[in-house]
Amino acid sequence: MSFLSLQSNEPGRSVLMTGNEAITRGAIEAGLSYAASYPGSPTSEILANLGRLAKEYNLYAEWSVNEKIAIEEAAAASFAGLRSLCIVKQNGLNVALDSLVSIAISGVKAGMVLVVGDDPGAHSSTNEEDSRLLCKVVHIPIFEPSTPEEAKQMTIAAYELSEKFRLPVTLRCVTRISHASGNVTIGEVQNVNKVAAFAKEDRFVTHIAYHQMQEVKLAKIRQIADTLPFNTYTGPEEAKIIIIASGPSALYAGEAVSTLGLENEVGVLKLGITWPLPEKFLLKYMKQAEKVIFVEEIEPFNEDNVMALAAQHIMEIYPIQFYGQKSGHVAGPKGPGLGEMDPDIVKQSLARVLGIENKVTVVRSSLNLEMPDTPGREMAFCAGCPHRASFWAMKSAVALDGRNGVVLGDIGCYSLALMRTGWSLPKTMHAMGSSAGIANGLGKLERFGFKQPVIAVVGDSTFFHSTIPALVNARYTSATFLLVVLDNETTAMTGHQPHPGMSNNAMGEIVEGIHIEDVVKGLNLPVVIQDPYDIKGSTEAVYRLLQTEGTKVLVLRRACALVAAKASTRPRVYVNQGLCIGDDCGCNRFCSATFTCPATIWDLQKGKAMIDEVVCNRCQVCVSLCPQGAIQVEGGTDFDC
Amino acid sequence: MEQSLLSLRLKQEVIESGNCTRCGLCVGMCPYIKTLNERIAFIHDCGREDGNCYRICPRTPSDWPELDRQVFGQEREDHILGHYQEVLYARSLDKNIAQGGQYGGVVSSLASYLIDSGESQAAILTKSEDYGPPKPFIARTREEVLSCAGSNYSASPTLSILNDGLRQGLDNLVAVGRPCQILAIRKMQGLTEVPEHNLSARKVNFSIGLFCFWSLETEVYAFLKVKTGEREIKKVDIQVKYAVVTTEEGEVQIPVDEFRDFIRPTCHHCFDPTAEFADVSVGSTEYDPEWNTLIIRSPKGQEVVEKARAAGLLETKPYPTERLPLLRNAVLNKKRRVLDGVANDKGYEYWGLSPAYSKGIEEGGEER
Repeated sequence: MSFLSLQSNEPGRSVLMTGNEAITRGAIEAGLSYAASYPGSPTSEILANLGRLAKEYNLYAEWSVNEKIAIEEAAAASFAGLRSLCIVKQNGLNVALDSLVSIAISGVKAGMVLVVGDDPGAHSSTNEEDSRLLCKVVHIPIFEPSTPEEAKQMTIAAYELSEKFRLPVTLRCVTRISHASGNVTIGEVQNVNKVAAFAKEDRFVTHIAYHQMQEVKLAKIRQIADTLPFNTYTGPEEAKIIIIASGPSALYAGEAVSTLGLENEVGVLKLGITWPLPEKFLLKYMKQAEKVIFVEEIEPFNEDNVMALAAQHIMEIYPIQFYGQKSGHVAGPKGPGLGEMDPDIVKQSLARVLGIENKVTVVRSSLNLEMPDTPGREMAFCAGCPHRASFWAMKSAVALDGRNGVVLGDIGCYSLALMRTGWSLPKTMHAMGSSAGIANGLGKLERFGFKQPVIAVVGDSTFFHSTIPALVNARYTSATFLLVVLDNETTAMTGHQPHPGMSNNAMGEIVEGIHIEDVVKGLNLPVVIQDPYDIKGSTEAVYRLLQTEGTKVLVLRRACALVAAKASTRPRVYVNQGLCIGDDCGCNRFCSATFTCPATIWDLQKGKAMIDEVVCNRCQVCVSLCPQGAIQVEGGTDFDC
Repeated sequence: MEQSLLSLRLKQEVIESGNCTRCGLCVGMCPYIKTLNERIAFIHDCGREDGNCYRICPRTPSDWPELDRQVFGQEREDHILGHYQEVLYARSLDKNIAQGGQYGGVVSSLASYLIDSGESQAAILTKSEDYGPPKPFIARTREEVLSCAGSNYSASPTLSILNDGLRQGLDNLVAVGRPCQILAIRKMQGLTEVPEHNLSARKVNFSIGLFCFWSLETEVYAFLKVKTGEREIKKVDIQVKYAVVTTEEGEVQIPVDEFRDFIRPTCHHCFDPTAEFADVSVGSTEYDPEWNTLIIRSPKGQEVVEKARAAGLLETKPYPTERLPLLRNAVLNKKRRVLDGVANDKGYEYWGLSPAYSKGIEEGGEER
């Protein structure tokens, strides 16, 4: 439904949209021409939607190989006079940072907006990171929407600001903005330049001289910040207690104030632009306030900046006391600055600061009565996931090799291997492609007595994203390690986006995919391709490759089970109840308890294994592992187990 | 016997300590133990307190008098060669077999007789390709048996596929194996009070034991390749002073001393070089390459040899009286070395030998 609303040509109509959809619509209304991104939660849907709308709105949308390329492309379009968009998640900003710093120095031409999705609580991330700190380093302004409607409006406003000051502008979202829905009013699509040309007089370069220009730009934006409609104040004009909040935290603050019945005492100051700060606006309310409470997600970014501002104007605003993460008053169950905010946390924090009783909220418990909890699910590979088979094969090969092999993890669905589902095999996990970089290091320590074999594990999308330079380095420096590419023929973790190895692109066009093995062969490195569902063959392949010197690559290729299952006509897998002998087997429930495929479950009544056919994706891997041969395939297996 | 965490004890006392003989029986039985390239490893702790793996292992304590009673109905009188009915020279009368076999082709001959006659459905053997580490193989026909002919000197975990045979519905199997493997089969056959389902050794109805004074590490294959200049190896025969390696371009002789470093340490702990619990044991004569030494141990062994002889597949002749003491001495010396090792505390235990059996060996056994 929402996707259709993105195409609406009815200005003034109010429709339900997620924050990501609202940003998509905002960019379209702003006359976007060029969008580039690398997928990552919480902002993956924006580029996916733009890809589907590309033809209709005469724009180009691309899943780039990585975020650095994506931001460079967005800058390029801007240089050529087209409004552009780059969408990343917090880790993606790290990848893009090197270029972004320079792009901010050189400046841009047409409006260029950078959407950064931060993931407080790391629902779909390996870390909690506050991208605002980096944007401050880059010297670019930051908008922080509190609602989907605001996300759309801010997107449009960001283009205007960007174009006016020839500077990229960041729209910082968090998961609860990107994924939550709200009413958004459709607006007109602006008629802006759609013709690309690199003007003769234009030049975009970096030089120390531009630093001064950046500071001038920021100083001007600082003045404009006070006039923006996104900074609001709600509450008594003479409030002695104010909460300064941004993003969804501003809504939580409002809810906490009203739940505690403090509407007549506490004001909520919502910052829509958090860098540079709307200083006059802030000082106006701080002058009358005695207590200021900061509510924001991840780092004390506003807290630090506002306190610095207060210190500068201390004589005007004294006496005043600040409460927040630094004082320890604003803290969730994990502590200050950890995890997401919610109305309950703000309520507790407010009660703590004011020394009042935190009234119990009853809304939730009545909901709980009506809606039973969903069953708890372990963080695990999906049923039929080829990664489970791959990690079992690697685990087997490392054990058989007997030299205490070191497996290095990376970023993708297979990061789950850190947990029970992958038998906690990886010993390191850092950034995209880091496993190959770390393998480069370990792979040359033989001269210092290092004798353990090394396996770096990356996915197919990660291979293209940032593994290839590591492979070049490995070849150049004769590092000894095995790179295992878990090739499930998609960017699975972020929602099956296409990547350069695939034969389609973000706009649904057919393209010629690049074979991973061709890249490896081009580097003159040995490469082996193997089906991970054949665990015996995969174990042998890993083992054999570990016995060799130098860099080598094993591609374990099998389509993501979730993609494969959609088109699958594979036969039903079942447990032959006559052959399964339950706990008499001695396998200690290998299929359900050790191999832990969610589709293999234990029938407590019968005391035997069974297949949950609703969940099973019919990969048949368990068939080859049951010591009794009790797991069978209707009509026989369709490949050699 | 300590009953707690037997699986963990197997891992620590046998596999990780290097005591594992690589018989392979636990591998096929258990999804947590795997083999590859003649290596055996625990992939994952099964978490069980109990485990048949520990009970059947040839390197965990064995009740030797009880095994004698189980297999032969009585305890042994001869503490050197164990139970036997006859010790003979034997050889195959089938030319194809005699050519392909290591010496007299007795193993191939008996195994193919058992399959052809329908007494057994298949034989558990090893098969090597390009003279690399051999792989366990289930031979169901005479031709398949012949394709496995010839000795390998490394420790192939042959019994790992015994369970495959069980899963494939095979019954009445011939097992050809090293003494440690025959011991494992007998230990599994003798298990009581455990569920019968995966006792694959109970599907073995005839066991042919191979003489084995030591086996070699898998690395020996790479060594042989270097020694033969990467030529294709047809046959390896390790004799008293030299190993004779037959390649396409003739024979290469390698002094036996050069193989010493490849002897598996666990083999120094073995006091059963002639497969005392087999139905028949077969080895070289160390004298006449046309013949094998054949020890007929069980009545079933006697019966099968009789039938093969009657069918004109096998011929036998008495063991030369002057050679028998040489065989006995070689075995006795091996057993004594193990016992001395225990006495000198070389870091290993003697596995459940009763005082009478130990004494029998120390005193040089009873000559018959």
